[in-house]
Amino acid sequence: MGAFDMLRIANTSLGFHQTWLDALANNIANVNTAKATSENAFQAQMVIARARPDGGVDVAGIAESDPEGRVVNDPESALADADGNVRMPDIDMASQMSQLVMAQRGFQASVQVTKDAQETYASALQIGRS
Amino acid sequence: MSISGIESVGFTPYVAPQVGTTGSTALSTGTSDVTGSGKAFGSMVLDGLDRLERVQDTSDQLAVKAATGDLTAIHDYTIAATEANVTTQLTVAVRNKAVEAFNEIMRMQV
Repeated sequence: MGAFDMLRIANTSLGFHQTWLDALANNIANVNTAKATSENAFQAQMVIARARPDGGVDVAGIAESDPEGRVVNDPESALADADGNVRMPDIDMASQMSQLVMAQRGFQASVQVTKDAQETYASALQIGRS
Repeated sequence: MSISGIESVGFTPYVAPQVGTTGSTALSTGTSDVTGSGKAFGSMVLDGLDRLERVQDTSDQLAVKAATGDLTAIHDYTIAATEANVTTQLTVAVRNKAVEAFNEIMRMQV
């Protein structure tokens, strides 16, 4: 606990949202990553948030989606098995894009908190100044 | 002062700093004695300067990391820089107030 708690808490929030944005970028990048049916599909990463007892937010861990994925018939693929099937990741692009907007807005909101924190501290310094 | 609403999540209410003991002890022992409030104020300013140095050190280290490409998060540096900026302004404000008080005493007519 210090004089700059507002900034410290905003810092944890920025860190969490950056991790979330990184995970979403990775999921969207791998939305078309096919795997052989003998392997696990690409697993989408989901960031788990946890509130800190002293204020702020932490990344509690990263959950991964179903390794089964979706079995898609694509005989043209180099990875296709005897039946012409490949394993595609089970990622909903619409959900990923909505989350991308949420993470971005959350990050921007935290930046606004840091701006307001600085303004608040600056106004406290004006007390007693002629 | 107790604020039960925010204490439950770990916040401690603001407590005004104490500037040592003031009053008769320092005055009665004469001007050469510096164990009274004069020293307490001096050490408070020195503590402030030490803290300022630490905050600026952190900011400088992150600036070097940003330049060398080792910075993992942009906001780590910008927030450290903001903290250093505000702390510098606070230290300068305290110094200005001290100098102002000193000048005021020097202008006193005796």
